[in-house]
Amino acid sequence: MQALDKALAQVGRVVLGKEEQLKLALTCMLANGHLLIEDLPGMGKTTLAHALARVFQLDYRRVQFTSDMLPADILGVSVFDPNTQQFSLREGPVFTQLLLADEINRATPKTQSALLEAMEERQVTLDGVTRPLPAPFFVVATQNPVDQAGTFVLPESQLDRFLMRISLGYPAPDVELELLAGGDLRQQVRELKAVINGEGLMKLAQVVGKIRVTRELLDYVQRLLDATRSDDRFVAGLSPRAGLGLLRAARAWALITGRDYVLPEDVQAVWASVAEHRLSARQGGSVAAISQSLLQSVPVVRR
Amino acid sequence: MRLPQGPRRLYERWLARRLPAASQIVLDQKRIFIFPTGYGFFYLLVAALLFIGGINYENNLILALSFLMASLFLVAILHTFRNLSALGLRNGTAESGFSGEEGALEVVLFAEQRAHHCIWLRWPGQDAQQVSVLAGEEESLWLNLPLARRGKIPAPRLKVESRFPLGLLRTWSYATLDHYCLAWPRPQESEDCPADGGKNNQRAFSSGQSGNEEFQGLRRYVPGDSLRKIDWKGYARGRGLNTKLFEEPVGGRLWLRWDKLEGLGDEQRLSILCHWVLELDRQHQPYGLVLPGLTLAPDTGDVHRWRLLDALACYPEF
Amino acid sequence: MARIYQVPSHTRLWLTLAVTFCALPQLLKGPLWQGGLFALVVAIRALVNRQRMALPGRIIRSLLLMGAVALTFYSFGRLYGPEAGVALLVSLFGLKYLEVVSQRDAYVLLVLGFFVCATSLLFSQSPLMFLYVLLCMVLLTACLAGINHSDTRASGMQHLKRAGIIMAQAVPLMLILFVLVPRVAPLWNMQVGNGKARTGMTDSMAPGQISELSESSALAFRVAFDGDMPPPAERYWRGLTLSHFDGRAWQQAIPRGMDEAGYLYSGRGPAPDWVDALTAGRSDGTSYAYQVIVEPTQRRWLFAMPVPFVSEGGVSLARDMRLVANNPVSQRQSYQVVSVPAATRRLPLAAEEKALMLSIPDESGRRARGLAQQWRLESQSDAAVVQQALRYFRQQPFHYTLRPPKLVADPIDDFLFRSRKGFCEHYASSFTFLMRAAGIPARVVVGYQGGEQNSLGSHLLVRQYDAHAWSEVWLEGQGWVRVDPTGAVAPERVERGLRAALEEGDSGDALGGIQLDGFAGSGLLGVMREWADYVDFRWQTWVLSYDSQLQLSVLSKLLGQVTPLRVAVTLMVSVALLLGLYGLYLFWRNPVHSQSPMEKEFWRLHQRVQGCGLALSPGVTPSQLAEAIAGRWPRAASPARDWARYYQRALYDPRQKASKQQMRHLRGLRNRLYKLLD
Repeated sequence: MQALDKALAQVGRVVLGKEEQLKLALTCMLANGHLLIEDLPGMGKTTLAHALARVFQLDYRRVQFTSDMLPADILGVSVFDPNTQQFSLREGPVFTQLLLADEINRATPKTQSALLEAMEERQVTLDGVTRPLPAPFFVVATQNPVDQAGTFVLPESQLDRFLMRISLGYPAPDVELELLAGGDLRQQVRELKAVINGEGLMKLAQVVGKIRVTRELLDYVQRLLDATRSDDRFVAGLSPRAGLGLLRAARAWALITGRDYVLPEDVQAVWASVAEHRLSARQGGSVAAISQSLLQSVPVVRR
Repeated sequence: MRLPQGPRRLYERWLARRLPAASQIVLDQKRIFIFPTGYGFFYLLVAALLFIGGINYENNLILALSFLMASLFLVAILHTFRNLSALGLRNGTAESGFSGEEGALEVVLFAEQRAHHCIWLRWPGQDAQQVSVLAGEEESLWLNLPLARRGKIPAPRLKVESRFPLGLLRTWSYATLDHYCLAWPRPQESEDCPADGGKNNQRAFSSGQSGNEEFQGLRRYVPGDSLRKIDWKGYARGRGLNTKLFEEPVGGRLWLRWDKLEGLGDEQRLSILCHWVLELDRQHQPYGLVLPGLTLAPDTGDVHRWRLLDALACYPEF
Repeated sequence: MARIYQVPSHTRLWLTLAVTFCALPQLLKGPLWQGGLFALVVAIRALVNRQRMALPGRIIRSLLLMGAVALTFYSFGRLYGPEAGVALLVSLFGLKYLEVVSQRDAYVLLVLGFFVCATSLLFSQSPLMFLYVLLCMVLLTACLAGINHSDTRASGMQHLKRAGIIMAQAVPLMLILFVLVPRVAPLWNMQVGNGKARTGMTDSMAPGQISELSESSALAFRVAFDGDMPPPAERYWRGLTLSHFDGRAWQQAIPRGMDEAGYLYSGRGPAPDWVDALTAGRSDGTSYAYQVIVEPTQRRWLFAMPVPFVSEGGVSLARDMRLVANNPVSQRQSYQVVSVPAATRRLPLAAEEKALMLSIPDESGRRARGLAQQWRLESQSDAAVVQQALRYFRQQPFHYTLRPPKLVADPIDDFLFRSRKGFCEHYASSFTFLMRAAGIPARVVVGYQGGEQNSLGSHLLVRQYDAHAWSEVWLEGQGWVRVDPTGAVAPERVERGLRAALEEGDSGDALGGIQLDGFAGSGLLGVMREWADYVDFRWQTWVLSYDSQLQLSVLSKLLGQVTPLRVAVTLMVSVALLLGLYGLYLFWRNPVHSQSPMEKEFWRLHQRVQGCGLALSPGVTPSQLAEAIAGRWPRAASPARDWARYYQRALYDPRQKASKQQMRHLRGLRNRLYKLLD
């Protein structure tokens, strides 16, 4: 528990004024899920990912996605060595513990789906050979908002693979001032102290599974899911997988908050970041507005 | 029972005023009608015969039996009414279709207070469907809807009927859900793709730009080429180092545009756009759509396709 | 509309049961072959339902139908009339059941079932039969509910439960209709006898006849008094007067020269003088008002104390002061009587009547005549002769017994001077003979004497063993005076009834193994008998004899003045009220979706806070609720947060089981919180 607080404090030193988002990012990692950060360039997405890697002592690689990238550029390639007359595997950047996939929507759908499949299965198959990815394995992908030209928006079926989506947004004025006054961010990140290592993180993730929930809480989660399905403002409701993700995220949030059981508040706290990127509104409605209204209208305690 | 044209229209108008459309309807006294069935009248006739028999035989017990039958009937009014009362209907999802085909609407019945048994739901001109909803539960029914024209096809008035529990009385109500089915335009083939980047007489997606999506061929390795683009398999077979060439799709910049179809009627424009949406989707080509008043960014996938088709269906009111 | 027309399988059991139960009364009563037919039908249905065989085709069904019709004709000799008609109806009912496939068939079957139930009530109107018919109605209703429930997942018990609920609600409504719906006079007359010969009185009296009756404890009639009951010694229920003696038997007779029309007065047309004379005495002395409910006798005579006045139709008054029904009593019948004993002196004795009342056959009772002549000479008046005769019975060693020795030769002399052992009929017969021989007009009256009182209903129960015979003599100035010579011999017979008379004294042997049933059977059995009788009696008085007259009196008690409008309004209002009550019950019930106490706890506070004017969304969590309270009512902040903390732990921490104690604590917190709001 203390480790988590420390981790938050550490990352908070470089990502200023974004406690809520930090907590969500951490929640996502504890829940063993991949994170999608959607924001304009220059908002500190990279810094956040890098900082997380530092704090948790994870292998860290960053891939800047471009439109001429091939799946092999991510996953790796079998190279023929004329000396040994054998193919040898050149591992791609995906073989790491924390992969920052920067501007994932610049890559072509083919490349995107190669990464997303690796994320889902936590293994890579190249030329018939299957190789597991290291553990833990997290992907922090960043995405520019939709209306940027020359991008391939992630298809909605792929978005389901990210447990959560957050956006950082502009810093508050006073925070920005501090930011401007501060030194070199990269340097600061490098100076961050590790709090816990990868194995510790995995143990914590196991603890998340043991956070208790009561029937009443499950009932609430179920009613929320049901509300998305029966609301005709959405094209389709949340999938059962999304429901499991919501519960897992709520548990991780409870753990970070320092409780060993889940409260409806935990569910509500992670609701937006777990649910909204999986939903699409009919005819131009705002997903965020609708999903918030559901939170308001679905009774927490059964009527 | 068919009324003549005039009164029928008046009746329809009265019904429409009395039972306005809503996205969720809970049947209440105002909406429920009740009347004996043919069997109910028969039953009453039998009770009346027993009454006459009781009078004539001066048999008070037979009289009592006829009163009991009448009482059963009266109590059955309450029970029949109750079976429909408080039944809720609400919009479910809709399955759109191309105009000229059939769409389907989902109607969700919910029972908040009590169970509702053997409810018949019917749309004009369709077979009734039977459903029972247990207390606190929901049931959904799909009702087919012929899509005669493109656009939002509103749900017709739904007749909800029940004879439960004794079949002596029929209780019914009309529910107009403000539900609709989107009828997509019927696709119309056309040679030219009304898209940005597509030239006349040219397939929209073979742009000729070199990129990395579609494999085009090989060329000799030139130092500086990415190692990952080398055809290692060919190298292993002794064909030397070659670099794989890929063709860049117009991809992310492929916009289907309404303006490109000038001179055609609205419906025809929509039909052609619809055809190309389906065609591009089939080729897994990212595509966007620009309609007057609506721009949808390029994407792929089922949800994207649906969103575009829905937009075509809704034109011009999104 | 595409409906499922088949009878659903979960209803089949109820159909079988309903058909069997409805038909059972007729099957038990009717010819044997009908039972066989039903057994066959039920067996075929059972096989068909298990898909062991196909439904019989049209030909077989037609053959069965023709067979049933032929057998009905064979058994009853005709196809119409109540017995044959009902038998035919029940056979058709069974055959219809055989061919039930669709919902429509089942509807027809059930309607036939209602008719069959009604016919059961035609032949028996006991409360038990009515209860049985109610049971059949529940089954028929369960069938109706079943065939209208086309869900295959429905269970059979559901239908029975639903039918039970509907019936339970219909029965009170039926009672209202029963009491209030105006009774109409029959459109045409129909009477159904139930074909059973009853034991009871015959219209002549030969020695030994009444003693035979006294072996039966069957009910003869019941009497419910409206006001005072006469003392036991006055309870003489006259049935017949017997005026003609042929030497052995006494018979009814109309005086020569009188016709039946003059002898009977039905209440219509001009009243004969004797009726006027009697009616004039209507207010003489004490009168008793009572209702008699007579069991079927298949005879026309009715029982009453003298002098009976009736107001209802269908009953005539005869010149010998008894009541005669216009039709034979084939079912239980009740009538209201006012008896005025003193009115008897008003009745004149016509000459031709006097001649009949003095006639005795020449050749019989020679010694008795001598005795009578002697008393005549010794006495001053007729009354003294009567006293002489009674003294004779009292003083000579006469013996009251149920098993008198056989009288040979001349029954009068033989009894008076030789055997001197006899039963009431012997005493009445010989006493009347003696009176006539002495020149006093006299006749034998048969009827019932006494009756047991039911302590619950304070009504009298008169059984066959209460049958009795006594005499009436005509005394100048007093009219017809009752004289019971049996009372002179065995006073306890008159005072306390036959049982007492036989149990006491030397007549132990006279009981001779005869079982006399009655309430007197001690202990629980006696109490139960008393109750059964009471129920039966009330059923009779309140239900079966609830006719237009009784209805009028009930309604005038309820409404004051009875006008058609008032009755109609009362009927409508009471039906509407009851239905309204049911409506409240049926429609105003809580959602079935039941909340746990913990959930209720939350919503109570939620409602209260909203009631205090703070708008809350339903999606608020407990602690958000507390914060909202804290924001609005700062002094309630800390108890609100306490409540939320406690509530959260109780509901969402699995280690905290929500116990009663916790609930109490929460409620306490909430109540404290309430005081700090607004």
